[in-house]
Amino acid sequence: MITSPRPGRSRIRAFGLRTRLMLAFLLVAAVSAGTTAALTYREARTALLETAQDTAVTSFRDHVQTTGFALPVQEEGMEEVLRDIARKGKPHPWVVFAEYGSVRASSGENPVSTVITPELRRAARADPHGSFERVVKDGVPYLTIAMPMVFKASPDSVLPSGLVLYAVMRMTDEQVNVDALLMAARDGALPGLAVALIPGLIAARSVLRPVRELRRAARSMGSGRLDTRIPVRGSDELADLARTFNESTGQLERSVRELREAEERARRFASDVSHELRTPLAGMLAVTEVLDEDADGLDADTARAVRLVSAETGKLAVLVEDLMEISRFDARAAELNADEVDVAEAIRKTLHNRHWTDDRVRTELPDGIRARLDPRRFDIVIANLVGNALRHGGAPVTVSLRTETRSPSPAVLITEVMDSGPGIRPESLPHIFDRFYKADAARTRSAGSGLGLAITLENVKLHGGTIRAGNLPGGGAVFTVGIPLHAEEAGG
Amino acid sequence: MRRARTRRRLLAAAIAAAAVPLLAGCGIQETDVIEAGGPASFQAFLNRDYDMLLFFRSPDGGLSPVIRTTEPSAGLGDGYDESSGSGDENPGDTEGPVPTEKVVLALLGGPGKEDRAAGLATSLPAARPGGTVEVERSSGDRVTTRLPLALEGLDSTALRQLTCTIAYSQDADGQVVVELTGQDGVSRSGTCGLAPGGTGNVQAAD
Repeated sequence: MITSPRPGRSRIRAFGLRTRLMLAFLLVAAVSAGTTAALTYREARTALLETAQDTAVTSFRDHVQTTGFALPVQEEGMEEVLRDIARKGKPHPWVVFAEYGSVRASSGENPVSTVITPELRRAARADPHGSFERVVKDGVPYLTIAMPMVFKASPDSVLPSGLVLYAVMRMTDEQVNVDALLMAARDGALPGLAVALIPGLIAARSVLRPVRELRRAARSMGSGRLDTRIPVRGSDELADLARTFNESTGQLERSVRELREAEERARRFASDVSHELRTPLAGMLAVTEVLDEDADGLDADTARAVRLVSAETGKLAVLVEDLMEISRFDARAAELNADEVDVAEAIRKTLHNRHWTDDRVRTELPDGIRARLDPRRFDIVIANLVGNALRHGGAPVTVSLRTETRSPSPAVLITEVMDSGPGIRPESLPHIFDRFYKADAARTRSAGSGLGLAITLENVKLHGGTIRAGNLPGGGAVFTVGIPLHAEEAGG
Repeated sequence: MRRARTRRRLLAAAIAAAAVPLLAGCGIQETDVIEAGGPASFQAFLNRDYDMLLFFRSPDGGLSPVIRTTEPSAGLGDGYDESSGSGDENPGDTEGPVPTEKVVLALLGGPGKEDRAAGLATSLPAARPGGTVEVERSSGDRVTTRLPLALEGLDSTALRQLTCTIAYSQDADGQVVVELTGQDGVSRSGTCGLAPGGTGNVQAAD
């Protein structure tokens, strides 16, 4: 009935909807930003490198083509020629190596390069095509170009000369540029992710707000307000959910109202019936009293019949009174007229009024306990319990009184009624406060109306208290009534 | 359970798809050997009127053409001229292309000092003095050459040296079929095929 608020629930849960939505947004943003940045970076890098490579290859070819070589190639003077070519290197200065037969020369310090790979050499020797290869050595990228040299044997034909020129160019500038590209891609992607958080938060809000409203509405419904409705906004799934919730709530409200009306009708019927019965019963009681008085003058059989009718009429009157009492409880018309009373005194008065002053009823009533009680209803409670104990249990009956204080709850007035009978059978215990429940199935006609304990329960509840039925270890039933000592809220 | 697992797998795939392009290939990568245009041609100062084109063997096994001019060693050229026996027909060497007989004899003479300095060698046996070379241009693009040495036992480099030297002596483009006949009567024919884009040299036994 009442939603239990779970303790320690924070607004932002570890894997709540908000977190998941944010994560999803971040993931999508990361994927798109990362992919875009990576693709852009790759394209830009490729373009950058291709430009540098093409420039280098073209300019290398142009420069070596304007240089003359004797055949066979002479080793002396070669370095001068190579240095001349190296100076014209574009986009960066390069080191030029020449290989011809057993001649090895270069514009640098070593006649043979350590960067040029055997694959490039093989490719340059195998067929006369210019070729290049990018090599990374010790973390430094180099562009190596192989240029097999041919010469014109005639105006129309060329012959491979056997001379291969290599250029080795450090790509440090390109590396700097590529690194800058990478930085730019990364610096572009990270702010993108941060920016993606804002629409993520807004989207999460737009999803979470209806969910929050739904939760509030469900809780409000749970606490009995069946007229709770959710505003339906938009036409998305959440709006559908809200609409369905509203429809279900409406149907539930209708069903509950119908049920309540039916119950109301039934109660009113019982109440009306008892009211209608009271007037004729009052007349009947007057008549039977007269008959009772005159019974001694009648013959034996008639006198017994008259006494039976009189007794049954009395019982009927009690039953009708009890029915009317319980109807008032059902109609919530019962009122608590609380007053500060001395509880021990009140119990003694109850017992005295019922003439239970002999040793069938023992009392353990400490003086000085005062509580706010409705004296009439408390009287009914005690009378019902003691009467019940005397009727169904066995004498002696003990009525005891004490106060109890358990730390979280306020002090409670405990009244116990114990009998010395056989006790209540365990299977009867859960139903003992039901209306017209017969604990002793064999005895179909009990002396009471069958409503005594039900009325007792209602009266205790009206005080904001509790009542328990149980058995003593040594046999005998015990009824324990707990009523708050200072029951401010017991008025309801 | 299964749906959750599938979703988790999809998530992992998405993350991997995002991470792979980010992680792979930062910086400058190595490449394979990439072809970039044709070779570079240079000025070799070849004058066919008094320059011979001889083909020697380079250390890597290929053929390297060298240019040997006849002018500065006119005396030597005269000596070859006499032995060739065809000098009568060409009274002045400087007037036309260097005769093929002379070129072949120069090839048989082996690499010169400069050639050897560059690591060039020959696969041909040393020529015996007094040998004669007969060159006969039969049809349009076919040259028959009688050589003062036995062809039997020569390796393919030696045959290619002869073929290419004769072909480029006869034709500026080297586009002739050369038939070699040795003292031992063995004959070989083929083309030089050194020019870029040309078919490989054919050494077919006749």
